[in-house]
Amino acid sequence: MDPSEVEFLAEKEMVTIIPNFSLDKVYLIGGDLGPFNPGLPVDVPVWLAINLKQRQKCRIVPPDWMDVEKLEEIREQERKVGMFTPMPSPYYMELTKLLLNHASDNIPKADEIRTLVKDTWDTRIAKLRLSADSFVSQQEAHAKLDNLTLMEINTIRQLFLESLNHMYKLRTNMQPGKDSAKSQDF
Amino acid sequence: MATQSYTPVPPGVGMEDNFLSLDDILLSQEKLPCRTETAFPRLGFLEKSGDTGDIQEGTKMEMPLWLAKGLYDSKRRVVAVDLPKVYREGWRTVFGADPNVVDLHKMGPYYYGLGSQLLHFDSPENPDIAQTVLQTFVRRFRRIMDSSQNAYNEDTSALVEKLDCMERSLFRSGQAGLHDFQRWEKGQSSQMTASSLVQNYRKRKFAELEA
Repeated sequence: MDPSEVEFLAEKEMVTIIPNFSLDKVYLIGGDLGPFNPGLPVDVPVWLAINLKQRQKCRIVPPDWMDVEKLEEIREQERKVGMFTPMPSPYYMELTKLLLNHASDNIPKADEIRTLVKDTWDTRIAKLRLSADSFVSQQEAHAKLDNLTLMEINTIRQLFLESLNHMYKLRTNMQPGKDSAKSQDF
Repeated sequence: MATQSYTPVPPGVGMEDNFLSLDDILLSQEKLPCRTETAFPRLGFLEKSGDTGDIQEGTKMEMPLWLAKGLYDSKRRVVAVDLPKVYREGWRTVFGADPNVVDLHKMGPYYYGLGSQLLHFDSPENPDIAQTVLQTFVRRFRRIMDSSQNAYNEDTSALVEKLDCMERSLFRSGQAGLHDFQRWEKGQSSQMTASSLVQNYRKRKFAELEA
């Protein structure tokens, strides 16, 4: 999966905007949006929020968690605990990037937020690698991916799946006598 | 995004090789030390050192894996296959101590593939070989993962130098993951580019069509 595809999925997340135009309810396949009234906050998907923002038709209200204090807390928590801590949004990385790139003027302390999220991300990736390594070295058969986000899984997926496939093959070597089940993979 | 005009067939790695995998084809011509257990009349030209027309019983010679696999038969005893030295007791101890220091590319370059293929020949050491090969992979994994996920925009030839062919392909997938992510982070993946298939496409000249 390409990171841009993950980003595409993240664009379905809802975000609050304050429009400066008025429009009746819009009926879309994914659900009804609006009505839009100047100054009244309304929930829309990220893709629409960014589009409106680019045309300067709205102001984006950053999500609750996109706040320096909350993110600092999350970062400390992430560093302290050995397990993966739950993230405020399953698409925290993608949303941070999208919103900060397109609406940094609506988000207070944008640069600090960017650094904090990146720090959290780095900590989590280091943990992910550590657990992937112990998964392989202890030759486990399954693992739970609690609290991991799609983007995180995606960075390691290809390498990890291939490794596990190879390891599985090398492991079946250890049980001879199963030759009767000869078959090609495809 | 790596778009290729075809999907390469991955190597089989285990006991079974993939018929269409280029890696497995290359693997099948790795040389194995063998001893003949019957005489091969008039095949002396296969063995460069002998000047007789026949290959005598008990001659020591090297055979490619594909030939050894074809001739080997535990009941008829045509050839006996020895272990290449990387898979013997002495080297197994080395791999047991620290597999990370070994240059598997020089030793292999198909260490895992050949190790698995050797299990076709009934040898009392087979379980040990399988165990060593698996442990080697498990203990080298961390380094491959870390180096492939961290080396961004730098020369990786020193990192892959000591890797076996299969490990190199793992390294490449790790790098692909890293590069995709970095491209996205820098906002390059939102730019549209022409597909590599289209870029490589040249219009055929009229002359070729006419001929």
